[in-house]
Amino acid sequence: MSSHGESEKFVPLDLSRWKNLPIVLMVLGGIGALIGLAVDPKQFGYSWLLAFMFAVSLCMGGFFLTLIHHLFDASWSVPIRRINEHLGAMTYQVLPFLFIPIGIYAMAPAIGLHLPSLYPWMNELLTNPAAAGHDHALQAKQPLFTVAGFFGVAAFNFVMWFIFARGLKAWSLKQDETGAAECTLKMRFYASLGIFVFAVTLTLGAIMWMKALMHEWFSTMYPVYYFAGSVWMTLATVYLVAAILKRQNGQLREVLKQKQFYFIGSLIFAFTVFYAYVTFSQYFIIWNANMPEETFWYAVREKGNFWDLGMLLIFGHFFLPFLSLLRIDAKLTLPVMVPLFVWAWIMHFVDLEFNIGPTPHPNGITAGSVALDLACLAFMVGLLALVWLRNFRAHAPYPIRDPRLAEGLDMYVAPSDIATAPGHAK
Amino acid sequence: MAEQTNLKLAPPPRSLERIPLVQNNRSIGWISDQIAQIAEGKTPMWWWLAFIPSILLATMLFVMLAYLVSTGVGVWGPGHPVMWGWAIINFVWWIGIGHAGTLISAILFLLRQKWRTAVNRAAEAMTIFAVMCAGIFPVVHIGRVWFGYWLFPLPNSNSIWPQFRSPLMWDVFAVSTYFTVSALFWYIGLVPDLAVMRDRAKTKIRKFAYGLFSLGWTGSNRHWSNYEKAYLILAGLSTPLVLSVHSIVSLDFAVSQLPGWHTTIFPPYFVAGAVFSGFGMVLTLLIPLRTICKLEDVITMRHIDLMCKVTLATGSIVGYAYGMEFFIAWYGGNPFERTIFMNRAFGTFWWGYWTMIACNVVFPQLFWIKKFRHNLLLVWILSIFVNIGMWFERFEIVVTSLYRDFIPANWGYFRPTWVDIATYMGTFGLFFTLFLLFLRFLPVIAISEVKGVTPQADPHHPLGGAKGGHH
Amino acid sequence: MSATPRPYGVIAEFDTPADVMHAAEKIRDSGFLNWDVFTPFPIHGMDNAMGLKNSKVGWFSFVGGVTGYTLGMVMIWWMNAVDYPIVVGGKPMFSPFGAFPPSYELTILLGSFGAIAGMLFLNRLPRLHHPLLKHGRFRLATHDKFFLVIETTDPKYSETETRKLLESTGSKRIEIVEE
Repeated sequence: MSSHGESEKFVPLDLSRWKNLPIVLMVLGGIGALIGLAVDPKQFGYSWLLAFMFAVSLCMGGFFLTLIHHLFDASWSVPIRRINEHLGAMTYQVLPFLFIPIGIYAMAPAIGLHLPSLYPWMNELLTNPAAAGHDHALQAKQPLFTVAGFFGVAAFNFVMWFIFARGLKAWSLKQDETGAAECTLKMRFYASLGIFVFAVTLTLGAIMWMKALMHEWFSTMYPVYYFAGSVWMTLATVYLVAAILKRQNGQLREVLKQKQFYFIGSLIFAFTVFYAYVTFSQYFIIWNANMPEETFWYAVREKGNFWDLGMLLIFGHFFLPFLSLLRIDAKLTLPVMVPLFVWAWIMHFVDLEFNIGPTPHPNGITAGSVALDLACLAFMVGLLALVWLRNFRAHAPYPIRDPRLAEGLDMYVAPSDIATAPGHAK
Repeated sequence: MAEQTNLKLAPPPRSLERIPLVQNNRSIGWISDQIAQIAEGKTPMWWWLAFIPSILLATMLFVMLAYLVSTGVGVWGPGHPVMWGWAIINFVWWIGIGHAGTLISAILFLLRQKWRTAVNRAAEAMTIFAVMCAGIFPVVHIGRVWFGYWLFPLPNSNSIWPQFRSPLMWDVFAVSTYFTVSALFWYIGLVPDLAVMRDRAKTKIRKFAYGLFSLGWTGSNRHWSNYEKAYLILAGLSTPLVLSVHSIVSLDFAVSQLPGWHTTIFPPYFVAGAVFSGFGMVLTLLIPLRTICKLEDVITMRHIDLMCKVTLATGSIVGYAYGMEFFIAWYGGNPFERTIFMNRAFGTFWWGYWTMIACNVVFPQLFWIKKFRHNLLLVWILSIFVNIGMWFERFEIVVTSLYRDFIPANWGYFRPTWVDIATYMGTFGLFFTLFLLFLRFLPVIAISEVKGVTPQADPHHPLGGAKGGHH
Repeated sequence: MSATPRPYGVIAEFDTPADVMHAAEKIRDSGFLNWDVFTPFPIHGMDNAMGLKNSKVGWFSFVGGVTGYTLGMVMIWWMNAVDYPIVVGGKPMFSPFGAFPPSYELTILLGSFGAIAGMLFLNRLPRLHHPLLKHGRFRLATHDKFFLVIETTDPKYSETETRKLLESTGSKRIEIVEE
């Protein structure tokens, strides 16, 4: 990679006009969501769930990128690690609060809200225990699919995220002060257990919060499918955030180089392919075996405009980003990457619509439901952005004393035993 | 190179310093000498000691195959209800082992993992030989081997074409493509090193042979430019290829409706398992090799350490898949699915299941600890466990889904015959014969690639001749 | 047959990648055309130093890949849905899903053939003979030395001037290579 051309590719972005965007999003989204709640309280629950799953994708994506940074003992990603750490931290700072309405909606019939529960299985359990007793798919899942199971899983996830995402962030911040090797070792320890925690919590979250909307359906691939889409979308977000920060933050300008952007771009490309691979495999295996207890999930997604959403996912979630990222230089070209970021968000949104939509709208989503989805999403994204910025401003913008920083920047630093005087050498 | 920065950074603490990729500051010339000498000079005693038993075993393989072809596939164990026996197990096992080579050469190349250079050549060779061993089983198990060409879309006297809705046809395309592309990738990687061998050759025959196969390579930078591009593209094509091959192998099982086989996570789960077993075999081969051939400065402890980590990572992914299969068997509520899984863990073949869990999921967790990753003997033993565990994984998948299916009247048991066992043992003979011949005649490590990752090769590093202006 | 061998070019030897790279930059800026650098391994940044354009190998591979995919799809459709249709498992005679795996493999197969054939074609390989391979010191180009060769066919070549130019790049050993 040559250094010329850098100045042309990264045209300064004037973001002063956008400074208030998070607050605006939050307020407008919040008002929209409140109107939606008044007009169509049932839809509000699903819209909130969709936005919540989007927020989970983003925060868990950041958590995951932090984890693998440590597990791979990577150096190139040191400059972007703080971005991910703050994203990961929101798994316990924000997500538990965003979950409260989902908890209320899941329990709606039991707490006198005159609404069906968000989850048909929970509704059955709370309003018609006799029918629930005959529902084989539900009975098979006892005791996981009970009120206690549902909230137990949520509590477990939030506690785990609190312990591990917080541990990773805390030791990273500590290293900013001490620069000690011990902090790196501690972070590795958290990452080593954390990756198991990540796998288990993400699996449970994807199953209990999203797949359970149609509890008769089962697929071993499902959590991987949600994971692939989440990390893909998070990577696009991290790319954009890094590109903006490179302009806005003098300190980060020193460490965010082409290499970092190129590598994130390559990872986006890899996850584009991985998502397609996972999605195709799941569909293909179910299509081939043609067993009704599995195919119904796709059959309902061929009705109404879900057919169009599915087609949009095939071409938009895979082919378009795949082809636009195929060239090596595309990963460094902001006129490609910025629209790609917007597109990735739209595609992940469509993907979640495809997963959640058919439960409330068997015949296709409506303009009203999408508007309410977007309002909830705007509210949550505004909130996440505010929290993230607050965290970001409170600390160094990147791990300033990470021992792998020099290596990540391809700087040659003489080893410590040459630097020390002979008298001090051990 | 990286853009200039005004930062002043301290070196990493002693405890976090990385081991250099080539230790003891070896010169570029030393790399050629040390690697090329393995394939030069007098054949060492250890080589004969390894080669003779290998070729005897390989001979046994061909005797067994001749016996099978002349008698019939009935000499093998498969029969009602387990119609797929050791043949498919061994096929999947060997092809899985073949995945590490392409993973190292392609995926780690795309990920800019420079450490791959010390191990990719041997791993790719291993891939090709493992795929050859794998290919024997499906070809022979069709019974009338002389009609093997019916598998390809060639016109035949019945005017029937292959049936492309069958996953077995996909296998034919996947495996033959995989073999062809891996062999070509390996050969293209060998070309500059064959030129090294040519330029060092002392005898006429060697000069001619290496000269012929090095295609007239001169090391021209105009050539390197196209060569590197082609190598990058091959890596880019091999990456989806390696993912697709074991995915397609997994579809042999997954597109069916059989409990225990039909599960959507199979493709990535099989790929992870393949990489896992491949790295197991790479470690099994390279740990003795680096000692015998005195390659400790090229295949350093850092390489071993990293390979242990890959093993750990893929072993854990496989563990996730085992857990997920079990969980969804329960979650889905299908009684047949549940029975199959209970049978796997606690039925007749429980010992196979728990061997698999111990070898693939439990033991590799030791690799979390650095002390264990740096204990060569332990790593070597665990790498063998990985191979054993992966064999039992395929055994469990194949046998336990078949031996007790939907109707108890169909239940049975599975027992291999002595021909099964001898054929399988024989493939080891073939594998090691080929691998030893490779050691003896070709550079076992990618010489030019290892040179390229040393600091002496970097024109911006002081050791590469950079003067002033740089740190 | 002429008895006296014609000179092929002038060869300069260097000890480090940095030296040969600086020399290459100088030769590039002097406007030579028929010259090359020979190294034991590809040197990062040398293409730039020589002023080489991005390699064209990608196009060969792309054409190969597209051919493979099309060939696979058309072949399967024609064989299973047109020439000899048989119903199997209630599945459609032709479906892009079922035909995908073999077509995908053919994409990769022909894409790889394209990459390799393109590389060999662009490099004009294989060749059985090259004047440089007869040169005694050149053997070290695959070992640990770095060479820069300017061919006599270059329009700017002059026996004395070119030699001087190479001397100014810091090479300690400059010789004439014969055809």
